[in-house]
Amino acid sequence: MIEVKELSKSYKVGSETVNAVDNVSLTIDKGEFVAIVGHSGSGKTTLLSLMGGLTKPVSGTVTIDGVNLWSISDNDLSVFRNRKMNFIYQFSSLIPTLNSLENVMLPTAFGKEITNASEYASELLELMGLKDKKFSYPSQLSGGQQRRVAIARAFINRPEIILADEPTGDLDEETEAEVMTLFHRMNSEQKITFICVTHSTDIAKQCRKTYRMSQGAIKEA
Amino acid sequence: MKISLFSIARKNIKRKFFRSVAIGLSVAIVAATLFVVTTIMGSVETSLKKGTARLGADIMVVPAEAEAEARTALLAGEPGTFYMAKSLVDAVRKVEGVRDVSSQIYLKTAQYKCCDVGDMLLIGFDPENDFTIIPWLTERLNRPLNHDEAIMGRGLTAFAIGNRMKFYGSEFEIVGMLEETGMKFIDNSVFFPYQAIQQMAEDSKKKNDVQTVELLEDHVSTVLVQVKPEITPERVAIFIEYNVPGVKAIVSEQVISSVRRQLFVLLRSILSITLILWVMALLLIGVVFSMIVNERQREIGLLRAMGAKKGNVFRLILTEASVISLGGGIAGLVCGGAFLYFFKSFIRSALKIPYLWPSTPDFILLILICLFLSFITGTGAALFPALRSMTMEPYEAIRRGE
Repeated sequence: MIEVKELSKSYKVGSETVNAVDNVSLTIDKGEFVAIVGHSGSGKTTLLSLMGGLTKPVSGTVTIDGVNLWSISDNDLSVFRNRKMNFIYQFSSLIPTLNSLENVMLPTAFGKEITNASEYASELLELMGLKDKKFSYPSQLSGGQQRRVAIARAFINRPEIILADEPTGDLDEETEAEVMTLFHRMNSEQKITFICVTHSTDIAKQCRKTYRMSQGAIKEA
Repeated sequence: MKISLFSIARKNIKRKFFRSVAIGLSVAIVAATLFVVTTIMGSVETSLKKGTARLGADIMVVPAEAEAEARTALLAGEPGTFYMAKSLVDAVRKVEGVRDVSSQIYLKTAQYKCCDVGDMLLIGFDPENDFTIIPWLTERLNRPLNHDEAIMGRGLTAFAIGNRMKFYGSEFEIVGMLEETGMKFIDNSVFFPYQAIQQMAEDSKKKNDVQTVELLEDHVSTVLVQVKPEITPERVAIFIEYNVPGVKAIVSEQVISSVRRQLFVLLRSILSITLILWVMALLLIGVVFSMIVNERQREIGLLRAMGAKKGNVFRLILTEASVISLGGGIAGLVCGGAFLYFFKSFIRSALKIPYLWPSTPDFILLILICLFLSFITGTGAALFPALRSMTMEPYEAIRRGE
C-alpha cells in the first residue's frame, strides 16, 4: 500500500517559489491501477518522483508497505527502489552505450538477483515485439521502439509498483493498446500496482481510479 | 550474460573513444617520461656502483695531466693510454691512510696489423697485489692465469669463453668473463697479468707483419688504492696529491657523485617537465570527467532511479577513470620500455654514461610505481567529479539532463 500524507514540494524559480505539489494526500492499495491526469505543469511528474523516492519533499511523507521513504538511509532507499518499484519515463531513458538486451537488464546490475535475467529480458523484449532488436543500440531504434525497450526494462526486476510517466507517449494506437493490455495483464496476474501519469483520456478511462491534479493539488476524479 | 558496473564503464569508455584515447595518451606521456628518466637514473646508479665495486678501489691515482682522459676512460669507456713512473706506486703506498695499492697498465688496440678488435683497452694487472681481477679469479677460476690466457668483460659479445683473441700478434685464450657492470671501462676491456702484456709487447717487436707495442719500462698507467676503514677516501686523496707530486687522485665515490650531479641536473629538468605534464594531465582529466558527469546527469539520475546506490555511481566514474589511466600507464610503460631497449646505445653515447639495466626486483618495483602513479592520476583527477555525481538527487539529475 502507498500512503501519501500532506506531501508538498516547491521549487525556486528566480525569486519566486513554485509549489509543484501542494499538501497532497492519497492512498493507493496494492494491485491498484491508477491514473493521474492534469495539465502540463500541474505537478504530476513531481508527485510521481516523490512517490518513487527520487526527490525529497519539503514536507509530508510517502509510506510504502509501512516504510517511510525519507526515514531510511539513501542506500536503503536505493535498495528499496531496486526491489520494489520501477519507472517508465516520458522521454527516451535508454543508455546509449548499451544494446536493448543490456538496457533491459540494467536494473539487475544494482542488487536484486534475478534468476535467468538474460532469458527473462529476452522474453520481455519478445513480448514487446522486439525479438529481432535485442542487440540493437538505441540509436538504431525508432522512438516507439525505444519506448518499448524502456517498458520491457520496467518489468525486469519483477517490481511491485510501476510508476509510469506518459508510458505510451511515442507509440502508435495499435502498440499503445498492446502495451495497455500488457499492463492490465501484469496488474491482474502479478498484482503489480500501476500509477500512470497521462494526458490521454483514453488511458485514464482504462484505469480503475483517476486523480486529477491542478496547481499542485490533487482530487479524485 | 550478466551486466556489471565494469561492463557499463567499459562501454562508456568505448562510446567516446577518441576522448578516452586523449586522456589515456596524456597519462601515457607522463608514465613514459617518468619511467624512462627514473630507469636511466637507476641504470646509471646501478652501473656506477657495480663498476666501482668491480674496480675494487676507493681511489684511482693517475698522472695529473691525464685526469680528464682517465675520467673519460672510466665513465665512457673510451680507451685512453697514459703512463707514470712505477716508482710512484711505492710512494703512494707510503701515504697515510693507504691500506693497499695495486697498479695497472693500459694499452689501446689498433685495427690495422694488430688485433682482432680495434679501439679497445687491454689492461695489465699486477697479480701480486691486484684487487680488481684476482678476487674474481680466486672465486671462479681458482688458479692463476697462464701467460696466454685472458679475462674479458661482458661487452664484447662476439667472443665467448674458450675463444682465442689476437692482440699485436700474440694469441690469448679467453678463460673467463666478468659480470656486466654497464661501465665500458670494465665491460669492453681485456685483462692480462703484467708479465703477459710485457711478453706480448716484446714478441710484437720480433714479428714483421705486426704493429709493434712500445711499452715504457717501469711505467704504469694507474695506481688503484684501497684506504683504511678509519679514514675517508677524500682525505687520503688529499694526502696522496700532497705527498706524491704530479698525480691526481680520483675518488671513486666522487666519480659517482659527479656523474650523478651532472646527469641529475639534466634529468631533474626532465622530471620538472614531467611534473608539469602530470599536473596538466590531472587538470585535463578532472575537466574532462566534470564534462562527462555533466553530460551524463540524466543517465546518472536514471541509474539511481533503477536502484544504483551513490557508491555505485561513484565507482562507475572512478572505474572509467582508472581503466583509462591504467591503460594509458601501461601504454606509456611499453613505449618507454621500447625506447630504452631500442635506444640503449644512443642514450649511452649521447649522455656519455655507464648504463646497466636495473635488477629485476628494482625494475618490477619501478613498473609498479609508474602504474600506481598512472592509476592515482586518473582516479585522483576524477575524484571530485565522481563525488559531485554522488550528491545529485535522482529527480534533479534527470530533469537537468533533459
